Amino acid sequence: MMEAAKVLDAKGLACPMPVVRTKKAMDELHSGEVLEVHVTDKGAMNDMPAWAKASGHELIEQTEDGAVQKFWIKKN
Amino acid sequence: MTKVAIIAANGGLFDAYKVFNIATAAAASDAEVGIFFTFEGLNLIHNEANKNLPIPEGREHFQEGFQQANVPSIEELVTIAKDLDVKLIACQMTMDVMNLKKEDFIDGIEVGGTATFVEYAKDANISLTF
Repeated sequence: MMEAAKVLDAKGLACPMPVVRTKKAMDELHSGEVLEVHVTDKGAMNDMPAWAKASGHELIEQTEDGAVQKFWIKKN
Repeated sequence: MTKVAIIAANGGLFDAYKVFNIATAAAASDAEVGIFFTFEGLNLIHNEANKNLPIPEGREHFQEGFQQANVPSIEELVTIAKDLDVKLIACQMTMDVMNLKKEDFIDGIEVGGTATFVEYAKDANISLTF
């Protein structure tokens, strides 16, 4: 699995908090580093890729493990 | 850069969520966001009123759903909006009509007229009214 510089636990949070927290966490990373995000909000399946696109970051991988979705996003 | 211009003209709890969810999600996606609060929409940034915004009649049971879904409070969303530099503009004319002062509102708002909003919104990519 992708080496993440930081793991963000956003499980249990409702929209718009997963993207808000992801933005905050991403602000603390350096360019090229990867953020791993764990989310249970079902809307995140589409929201996280949309957020990455809008923010200019690269969604490297997306997995679903039961109720938990995981995203690996590389900072631009 | 994406620019979002929102008019908030209604003062219920559902209105507040529509306005602040979209505003914070857009701001978190690196968009520039400005909200013009007018008429009942002023409730959403009023010091007292925004702590207890009304739920539409017959929909009171939604209160439980908000808690179960772990939806953030409006106060929380307002704090996030300010933190993400969302511009909050209170409508001067409505404030005069309702006899409200800038001190009646949360910190960090601007007061302006429609010309202020029109100038802000003229090159917005997304314009929304709630």
